[in-house]
Amino acid sequence: MRHQLPHVALWILSRLVSEGEREPLVGDLAEEYALRASAVSSSAALKWCLRQVWASVPAVLWARLTRVPWISTIGVALLAYIAVGVVELTVNRATAYNPLGMLITFPMVVAIGYVAAGVRRSAPLVLAGMMLIAVTAMTLLADEAVPAWYRVAYFFVGPVAAFIGTALRSLRSR
Amino acid sequence: MKKREEPLGSLEHIVMLAVMRLGSDAYGMTVRREIENATGRDMSIGAVYATLVRLESKGFIKSHTGEPTAERGGRAKRYFRTTAEGEGALRNTRAIIEKMSAGLKGLQVT
Repeated sequence: MRHQLPHVALWILSRLVSEGEREPLVGDLAEEYALRASAVSSSAALKWCLRQVWASVPAVLWARLTRVPWISTIGVALLAYIAVGVVELTVNRATAYNPLGMLITFPMVVAIGYVAAGVRRSAPLVLAGMMLIAVTAMTLLADEAVPAWYRVAYFFVGPVAAFIGTALRSLRSR
Repeated sequence: MKKREEPLGSLEHIVMLAVMRLGSDAYGMTVRREIENATGRDMSIGAVYATLVRLESKGFIKSHTGEPTAERGGRAKRYFRTTAEGEGALRNTRAIIEKMSAGLKGLQVT
């Protein structure tokens, strides 16, 4: 009896992997599936196969992302931006837009920029751009809850902190 | 300028060794099986391929396409083999591990 790889596994894999890897990877899976189906049972082979596909998703996705440099740079910058957002919200909740909050936030953004530069060298540059866009949008939308001095300060504090993080990383790697 | 030799990551190290052990029969699924048999580690085929492709982009392994077979639904295998540069990276990684482990008690493999 000939055992064929389940369509669902084929469909998932063919959408995840790049064209060059598709044929050998799906072929490998089909070979092992057929082997297990005849040696054990079709249901055990199916279970194994779906587990393999499921477990392959993070590795294959990460490999594809890291192969395209600008996508991974944007991805790292986006993660850093989320981290900055979390820091900013937490600090502002505690200090209610007090200048002290800015003093606390600054080194934290430097640290985030430093970590981001370690993963992708130009990620803090994208992060600084994202912060500028966010502050501009915040200023244009004129949210009354955010004081004007805070918005103006953030035009400088966010990007400068991100750049200092990059500079520190470059100094360390010399 | 001499290129700086970076040691292999642990996964890269294991996959390189599996490719070397398998010789001319090294392709995705045999590499996965070899790792599972030798280490008990149930690695996904996706992780194996991601590592193989990364190693190839670093010039540590080379690949070529085999003939399609019926048991694989007419799909061809992609065979891998280590390069001289890859074997150099393996030696370098091994030397680092040996230097770092030298003199440490309790690290003998039984």
